[in-house]
Amino acid sequence: MKRLPLPRPLIESLVTISIGLVAGALLMLLFDYNPVQAYRALFVGAFGSLEDILETLAFATPLMLTALTFAVGVRGGLFNIGAEGQMYLGAIGATFVAGLLPLPPGLHLAAATAAGMLFGALWAVPPALLKAWRGVHEVISTIMCNWIAFYLATYLAINFLAEPGRAERTAPALVTARYPVLTEDASLTAAIFVALAFCLVVYLYLWGTRAGYELRLAGENPDAARYAGVKGGKVILLSFAIGGLAAGLAGATQIIGRPPAWSLYATLGNVITLGFDGIGVALVGRNHPIGGVLAAVLFGALAHGGRFMEYHAGVLSELVRAINGLIVITLAVPELWMLARRRFSR
Amino acid sequence: MSPQPRVEMRGIHKVYPDGTVALRGVDFRLQQGEIVGLLGENGAGKTTLMKILSGLLRPTRGEIMVDGSLAHFRNPSDALRVGIGMVHQAFNLVPPYTALQNIVLGQEGAGPLASFRTDEPRRRVAALLTETGLEIPLDDPVESMPIGVQQRVEILKTLYRGTSVLILDEPTSALAPVEVHDLSQFLKRLRAGGKSVVFITHKLKEVLELSDRVVVLRNGQVTGEIATVQATPEGLAEMMVGRKVVARVSRAARPPGAPVLVVRDLRAANDQGAPAVKGLSFEVRAGEVFGIAGVEGNGQSELVQALTGLRPPTGGEITLDGTRLLNLNPLELYRRGLGHIPEDKARFGLALNFDLAENSILSRQGERTFLGALGRLNWGRILAYARDLVERFKVLAPNVRTVVRSLSGGNQQRLLVGRELSKQPVVIVAVHPTRGLDIASTVYIRELLMQMRDDGKAVLLISADLDEVVELSDRIAVMYEGVLIGAAKTEEFTREEIGLMMGGITPKGSAYETPASAPAAD
Amino acid sequence: MRVPGRRALGYLLAGLALAGFSYALERFGLQPISLLEAGLLAMTPLALAAVGECLNEKAGVVNIGLEGILLITAVTGVWFAELFGNGTMGLIGGALTGALIGFALGAISVYGKADQIIAGMGLNIFALGFVPFLLVSLWAFPGIHLFPSELMVPRLITPWGQFSPVTIAAILIAVLAHLLLHHTVLGFRIKAVGEKPEAVDVAGVRVDWLRLFTSTLGGALCGVGGAFLPLGWFGGVVKEISAGRGFIALACVVFAGLEPLLALAAAFLFGFVDGLASAVAVTPGVKERIPFYFVSMLPYATTLVVVALVIGRRRFPRTVGRPYVRE
Repeated sequence: MKRLPLPRPLIESLVTISIGLVAGALLMLLFDYNPVQAYRALFVGAFGSLEDILETLAFATPLMLTALTFAVGVRGGLFNIGAEGQMYLGAIGATFVAGLLPLPPGLHLAAATAAGMLFGALWAVPPALLKAWRGVHEVISTIMCNWIAFYLATYLAINFLAEPGRAERTAPALVTARYPVLTEDASLTAAIFVALAFCLVVYLYLWGTRAGYELRLAGENPDAARYAGVKGGKVILLSFAIGGLAAGLAGATQIIGRPPAWSLYATLGNVITLGFDGIGVALVGRNHPIGGVLAAVLFGALAHGGRFMEYHAGVLSELVRAINGLIVITLAVPELWMLARRRFSR
Repeated sequence: MSPQPRVEMRGIHKVYPDGTVALRGVDFRLQQGEIVGLLGENGAGKTTLMKILSGLLRPTRGEIMVDGSLAHFRNPSDALRVGIGMVHQAFNLVPPYTALQNIVLGQEGAGPLASFRTDEPRRRVAALLTETGLEIPLDDPVESMPIGVQQRVEILKTLYRGTSVLILDEPTSALAPVEVHDLSQFLKRLRAGGKSVVFITHKLKEVLELSDRVVVLRNGQVTGEIATVQATPEGLAEMMVGRKVVARVSRAARPPGAPVLVVRDLRAANDQGAPAVKGLSFEVRAGEVFGIAGVEGNGQSELVQALTGLRPPTGGEITLDGTRLLNLNPLELYRRGLGHIPEDKARFGLALNFDLAENSILSRQGERTFLGALGRLNWGRILAYARDLVERFKVLAPNVRTVVRSLSGGNQQRLLVGRELSKQPVVIVAVHPTRGLDIASTVYIRELLMQMRDDGKAVLLISADLDEVVELSDRIAVMYEGVLIGAAKTEEFTREEIGLMMGGITPKGSAYETPASAPAAD
Repeated sequence: MRVPGRRALGYLLAGLALAGFSYALERFGLQPISLLEAGLLAMTPLALAAVGECLNEKAGVVNIGLEGILLITAVTGVWFAELFGNGTMGLIGGALTGALIGFALGAISVYGKADQIIAGMGLNIFALGFVPFLLVSLWAFPGIHLFPSELMVPRLITPWGQFSPVTIAAILIAVLAHLLLHHTVLGFRIKAVGEKPEAVDVAGVRVDWLRLFTSTLGGALCGVGGAFLPLGWFGGVVKEISAGRGFIALACVVFAGLEPLLALAAAFLFGFVDGLASAVAVTPGVKERIPFYFVSMLPYATTLVVVALVIGRRRFPRTVGRPYVRE
């Protein structure tokens, strides 16, 4: 099997993360916050106790999946930023099956999970076809699909899936469709094992099967792929479909794998931006499924710890997302960090 | 004592950042009103020397004197300021712009927000056209112009900037014979006007026809300098080609077998759609190496891509073991026994960010040997196979999970050659198989190709390295401007004759004069 | 360079769609004038961002961070407006911030040889987190900030309806950009640098300065568009105020094949749909019949359909998105 990422990429990732954190600190100074206090609160909050570490992992769970969406895209030579919308639809699929379809225990959980993945994958089909048939650039098509998904999901959540008498959220997942909570003190559920397993499966698929090999070859060197008889259209569809499955699963884990809500908020508040966050996670994880898992833990820590930063230092937790963006920008500059990055043709 | 030279370069050294030594102490002089031919093979350092003179590159060591005073060029505009301008082989023209627009670019003669007017420049260009006797449709976009006309635009663009030292890089490489004649008339008119010209070329005939003086470069050094009236083609060919010290590979005489790869009247276009392969016919027999020599850019790349399924031919036919092969994809061709050592290994041959094992099955990833159930890759077999390749073909790598990018060029090539040879091809197309490699790898890969031949495989060798072609080939042809000239047994040629043919001169009155590329009988 | 057939088909489709819409609207009781007003308001930020990006891409640089610039400048625009007590100063503030971001992104692309797609996406993600942070840091209230209505850029009241002077400015800017691109020395060089930077370099013109200029100008125009969102249109700023408009502007650029006037037309088309959506959402008798959510999808769905149906592949400058490296 392919070895885990080498120390060098790891070091480079850590360097860019540090740059992002330093830049974040400068932003705080600019607005009269105390960065030392903020970061202390953040890291103690994220790793200070066992419960916090588990909570960090709960935050990491969807991120490793949405990161996978982007990573599989890049591996196939695509800039798929549609995880956001695919994830909304995945959440809807899971909500529908988990909240409204009474099924026997066991089967119910599996069906809800599968429905989430399927919805996510279906939502990835239009941009894939547009790319393969019409050459529409996936940045535009996936963003438009994200926004359409946002309104579609809100509409469905409010009009068809709402909990009776509580307009602000959907009917909660029935108990038979919930992933078991691992500890009472944190919102981590067994969904993380499904997420990890999915990442592992995709990893094995990409590096352990002929189709995965061809997908990576097409992304790495399209000319060599042509020489090896790989068909471009097939790779586009496959890469989008796998990404959609991952994003759909990410959405599902927020519904059937995350207490206390066990449901989708009508504002989509408990899933929103998880898809975009995945882009930074994937890039820091070097677009590798396993690297993505490690990066997701880090970003999960930032997300969970960010709340303590807000509480103790008054710094809004969303600053974490700004840091994420700064890290992505840093990663884009090869001249500065000598990172081997792949080109994307228009 | 000759008058003070217009330009003098002294002791120029150039080492590229990647460590390639391009020039090793070159002295070069140019008088006013003189046409100098700068002659040499690919990689001799001609273009590097002239890029230094035109300010595009900086020398590692050495100095440039212009009209007797020291000059430092930081960029091309500095050189233009003292009247030195270069027309590059790849034209620097904005494709959708008209000729006039291209000529005027950067010299609009008005502020950035001023309206862009071309009436004044048009008058100046028109005057220049009359003066030089050139003809250019000024209002056509250059992308719609034939290469020869584009070249005139480039030259005019350079002259428009007040150039009195004109450098031309391979000016005739893309020209038809008539256009070459026009160019030569034009250069003579320039000379009469007191301008100096340097043109880079590998073509002996042109040097003899066009220049007043010839400077020959080989391997980054001047190997000869001679007034053209005293030069002979043979002498120049000798200076240009020289002899390289590479351990020779022995080639035992061996009767060739039946034709395996047969090419008839093959035609192909280049990326711009112009004909690059102009009706080639040849055959490669079992147990022989057929070598195609020639300076690069004479259609070899297009020929190879047409043969290997990477470029659709525009005409003709290819048969392998009696089966027609036209319009098959590379994978299908490989399945029918065609191995390919591509010229651009980083583009077509290897995925540099993949490891050795992954690269070892490139294009074989669908074979049952390497697959398990459900389309899984059988890594046990793949790794064993990769290790076997590494061992058999002496690839130096820490292990087979090493990323190929980190290997030396020689080891990358060994891996690639090993992979292609172990596919058990019937015929192997090898393109510049040893270019840029260390001596050990060069010898080794040549030995491998000989071994293929001795095993009864057909080998088509296409190389710009004359020594390589002569050493390995049973039969030789030279590719020149899209056609083959002089195909015959290697022993029937002298090196000088091949050098002449590479320069576009077919030896007269010889038994092998009939071009091998004559269209096949209908 | 020209594909008249495709382009004509595009106009035809757009015209038919508009006619169909207008007819349907009148039947539903919507006022065409108010629709035109809404459409022109919605067109304005799209047009500003798209026209700037046309120039930028003509020079060979792609900025997919338009969305992020719109978001950030919406906030800084309001901040400047409050600082000076004047909406127009807010637009200038937006332009300055936008120019700064455009310059930074341009420098990263030109000197850092960055992957422009990743850098632009990084900017979008940054804005997604920075804007809420900024809202709280500046006004100590999460997610939303309302400002006194005196700070709004005043509308021009005409017999044909109320229009923002910024709309007129945007139209003028599109015309000026067209003139700049096709009739000035600078535009002549900008187009050349996108097609063949080597030719420009050899001609002694600075490739880096040209590209920095267009990315800065593009950022500034996008910044005016961002500041316009609260100051000329909504009357307040929320953390997701741009709502994908940066990407719709990119779609306009693609649709227009980098021609500023066509980008203006595309911005009007998408703006009209956007305005239509806003109008439908508040018109009694209609809003009950068509769910708000579907109306809200309209701009995005239209963009997707138009991009897919009409455009397909377009010819772009040869070096778009690729850093220029000498040798």
